Amino acid sequence: MLAKTLLPAAFLLFGLSAFAQNDTIVSGEKLKEVVVTGQYNPQSVKKSVYQVEVISREVIDRQAGNNLADLLNQTLNITVMPSSSTGKSTVEMFGLDSKYIKILVDNVPVINDEGLGNFTDLTQINLDDIQQIEIVRGSMGVEYGANAVAGIINIITKKSSKYKWEVTPFLQEETIGNEYDGITKGRHIRSIRIGHNISPNWYAYGMFTANDFDGFLNHKKGRDYIQNDSLRGYEWLPKSQLHAKAHLGFTPNHSHRFFYRFEFFNEKTKFFNDVVDLNYDPATETNDPIANDKMYKSRRFVHLLNGSGRFESGLTYDVYASYQQQERDLVDFQYRIRSGEKFNLTDQTYESRKAWFTKGTLSNFLDSETVDFQVGYEVNEIHGYASTFTGMLPHPIERTLGSYDVFGSTEINVTSKFSLRPGARALFSSKFDPMAALSLSAKYSLGGGYDLRGVFGTCPRLPTYEELYTFFVDANHNVTGNPNLTPENGVSAFLHLGKVYRSGSKLAFDTKFSAWYLNVRDRIELISFVDDGLSWQYGNIDLYRTYGSSLTSQIHYGNFGFNAGFTFSGVSKVINSSTGPSNDDYLHSVQANGNAFYRIPKWSTTLSTFLKYNGPEYQFITTGDLTEEGGTIFRGKRDGFTSLDATVTKSFDKERLQVTLGARNLTDVTRVNTTAVQGGTHDGAASSQLLGYGRSYFLKILYKFNFG
Amino acid sequence: MMKKLLLFFVLFTAVFAGCESEDQVASQPFVVAFEKRSYDHRQISQNQTIQVVFSERAIAPGFVKIRITPTAAVYGLDFELFPSPEGSELVIPFASGDEGVSFEFRNLIFPFDAFDKSIRLEIVEIDYPHWNNIQGYTAAVVSFSASLGATAEPNVGGPNQGNQIYFDLSTETATEVWRDSWDLGFYAGDEFRVGLNASIYMAAKRLDATNIDAVTEASVQPFLSSVSIGTFDPVNAAYIDHPNGLIAGNAMGEVSTIEADNHVYLVNLGYTVGNTTPPTGSVAVAGSPRGWRKIKVTREGNGYKLQYAPLNSATHQEAIIAKNQGHNFTFFSFNTNNVVNVEPEKDKWDLGFTVFTNIIDGAGSYGYSDFVLNNIKAGIKAYRVNVSPGVSYENFALANVSDANFQDDQRVIGADWRDVFTGSAYTDRFYVLRDADGNLYKIRMLSFLNQNGVRGYPKFEYKLLQ
Repeated sequence: MLAKTLLPAAFLLFGLSAFAQNDTIVSGEKLKEVVVTGQYNPQSVKKSVYQVEVISREVIDRQAGNNLADLLNQTLNITVMPSSSTGKSTVEMFGLDSKYIKILVDNVPVINDEGLGNFTDLTQINLDDIQQIEIVRGSMGVEYGANAVAGIINIITKKSSKYKWEVTPFLQEETIGNEYDGITKGRHIRSIRIGHNISPNWYAYGMFTANDFDGFLNHKKGRDYIQNDSLRGYEWLPKSQLHAKAHLGFTPNHSHRFFYRFEFFNEKTKFFNDVVDLNYDPATETNDPIANDKMYKSRRFVHLLNGSGRFESGLTYDVYASYQQQERDLVDFQYRIRSGEKFNLTDQTYESRKAWFTKGTLSNFLDSETVDFQVGYEVNEIHGYASTFTGMLPHPIERTLGSYDVFGSTEINVTSKFSLRPGARALFSSKFDPMAALSLSAKYSLGGGYDLRGVFGTCPRLPTYEELYTFFVDANHNVTGNPNLTPENGVSAFLHLGKVYRSGSKLAFDTKFSAWYLNVRDRIELISFVDDGLSWQYGNIDLYRTYGSSLTSQIHYGNFGFNAGFTFSGVSKVINSSTGPSNDDYLHSVQANGNAFYRIPKWSTTLSTFLKYNGPEYQFITTGDLTEEGGTIFRGKRDGFTSLDATVTKSFDKERLQVTLGARNLTDVTRVNTTAVQGGTHDGAASSQLLGYGRSYFLKILYKFNFG
Repeated sequence: MMKKLLLFFVLFTAVFAGCESEDQVASQPFVVAFEKRSYDHRQISQNQTIQVVFSERAIAPGFVKIRITPTAAVYGLDFELFPSPEGSELVIPFASGDEGVSFEFRNLIFPFDAFDKSIRLEIVEIDYPHWNNIQGYTAAVVSFSASLGATAEPNVGGPNQGNQIYFDLSTETATEVWRDSWDLGFYAGDEFRVGLNASIYMAAKRLDATNIDAVTEASVQPFLSSVSIGTFDPVNAAYIDHPNGLIAGNAMGEVSTIEADNHVYLVNLGYTVGNTTPPTGSVAVAGSPRGWRKIKVTREGNGYKLQYAPLNSATHQEAIIAKNQGHNFTFFSFNTNNVVNVEPEKDKWDLGFTVFTNIIDGAGSYGYSDFVLNNIKAGIKAYRVNVSPGVSYENFALANVSDANFQDDQRVIGADWRDVFTGSAYTDRFYVLRDADGNLYKIRMLSFLNQNGVRGYPKFEYKLLQ
């Protein structure tokens, strides 16, 4: 319903032209927006053959999100899936989870304890040193290798400053729902960033951010609760994060640029058991309650070296080398609630990934306006460890997976209006048979501000440890992984029609229509493989398909800006893994988002609001015995929900002091009802899904000391 | 500009350093109490240390004052305390850091000349500078009477639950027996019946044969897969002694006076005690299979004759087993091929803590850990009381006991006292038990994990109703 009213309203607004404003700021940055994702060289969004979506620093600041999860929550066709049990938030695009989506920082996939680029916990990605975020949807196997099936999110960091010294501390305090007391409840962020131009050739910055999230109790009673009635603990686990980053850039001349980036990240997530052993002593009629609590400790190190430039011949190069590692430890202990004593403590590695990564490209061989080539290589070696605690593994899994890829593409400007870019990548790996990824993109300028883009791409997805190695066999269970699994294959085709309209210096109006089809073949699912109906094994069997379309518009008029988007999509799963009934009809859903801002230059104030509507989502669910003919199928539904954020930013002291006051989740979403969850081979299905911790408010105070 | 910068940094650092204060748990008083409610005077030939426990480590010095009230006993003639009391009061100081204090009870009348003496010790004052209260076991009695109650932690032996514990409530005594140290129990009562060791998942099936040497491995081959527990086939319930504990429900039936009517039985010896360490909170009670025997039992005077052999043996061994008067059973082990001591005398134990073979309706026999049995063969019966408004363990009194509620079943406590999914003992139930001397006790189960969360450490509390 909301979607239906939102869309016409958006168009109505586009039609309005009389916003009488005396002070105008040209939204020129819009025109000059430069992207790097999927490009031979950084170039303007408009020229890019790919359709690259940009979330600019300005938007990040206006939204004042404290991590990537907050930010992507408002992005069309992206869903952020939080888990209250692990404290992680992962991304979902086109109904595909974080196994299918690659998250990169400066073109390099970012490590986490479960993978390189995939499985990223969005709450572990801090936004303080970020210039912009670029999103490309669709299978990007040629440009970014395996596991970029649904798309990629590329985070571009800041690499320069126009000041000799730039010191930017900030504080941010947030309520968690209605829970806040300044010390033990709420979210508390302290950050400082120092940038320095050492010489015209050398630039360095360092950044440090502490982000303490005190958890969301909701109806629960926290750590110090001493009843054994399942109320101890938190609904959202408390966690504290430390980010430290350093960057050193060297620009010997205008043709070459080098930088080194270092990142350290540390996170502690606390789990308080809701089972309390009262440890009652009848002799004294007193108790000494004990709970089996846990803490997860994550540590990440990233080293990245990049060199890029252009030789005199015109040949350009861009080379990355990186070593990254992330480990998660599980600390398990008994906690005496009254005294705070911890005993019987064990600290062991829960899961880890260590990766060497290097990628290089050469392009502009011919230095021609019409034809350009790019060739490149990408090599990584990921050493992974998973303890038996991570799932149903018979013993810890430790293995090294090497990927050795070469790729090439050519961009042909057939005419001044028509560009074509075919590409291919060969993927060799230490574990799987050689694979290929292909892409073909085309851009056609229709004139009058209209651009038409078509993007076709393929990308494999490699099986996970869980899929390969699960082993859970006892009297009542038989679930096994399958070491012979082959990668899944994703194929996507996108069509984008964009229209750019400019009138004078005041009005900018961009509209884009996109339509797509994406499928994943040989999808890995648990299959009941023996006729006893009790034995399950992972196999390459299913087909996943989705199609959809979206319409997005941005209008900037003077001090006013408005973006709106609407998307309609369908998902179908051909389930060959079930011997019971299944249904491969397309199930449809809608999403809509809009955000608006208004600048009041006289007061140095900007008002912003962000709204996203997620329509109901459906999934076919089988009930009863999955393996018998008697099983029935019905259409499960996850209710729709709307998230609404609003901020006011005001600058003081010649723009040096910035104060942002905001509210997130004004619609107060915590859980949505769902019948669209399939019970597992052993678990029952949940009846509601956790999505947020309700309406929360925040205040951010940032000061810029810029001198020199 | 620099001033402003400096000020900001000072403020900023202050915020960074802001320490986290913590919520406080609802507090409870400092309590000084006796470790035990009662001491059996018979067991004290010379000296007995009386332990006084604190609810928490003392954080300041103080003292506890104990009043001494003898009945039919005279201080200095029948008993003494050390340190010495002043008049009828004993003052024991404690220091900061102490977790308890103790004093000594000295018996001056051994060998006993009378059995009517008792000495009551009661805490009447706690001197301590913080919140304190006299509660819990506020008194201890040294007497010849039945125990007033106690808190006990039978040594079942952790996650392998290797021990069977026979616990006598009135004397607070526990007898410990290794679970797979015996196989058969030859009933010592009027009837002639043989029981199986349910704690190691034994099972027995009657064969058609009456000649033990005629039974071969091949002849019993068809039964080997079904004469076992945990097959989820309800038929297998016939192969175990009925878990209600009544002797008439034994798997092998009554031993006939007519020798030829006694059949050979195929006996599954179950499993050894497990020896692996399971994940914390789980059990590993079953080790490796102990194999099979064929046996035949006949009467021999007022006792039994046991013939036994491995399945593939053409000959057999014999043992003559007398009824052990005053006991439930005479026990025989195939480990030693001899009679072994297991249970105490039948009126010397009330509760048995053991791994056990129970029956699940519709699924047949099934192995349980953490089982608690009342000694039904000695007529020791119990019943369960559900906590409800007005009915609690604390306020349940002698007048509330209802004779009609006592069950003809040894599984009154059984396995239903603990929630294996949360690792907690249920607090919504307690039990009433009448022992061999007619003492009525209320019993409540407290936990089955130790403080490290490891299973196989039951703890219970009981109190004499009077």
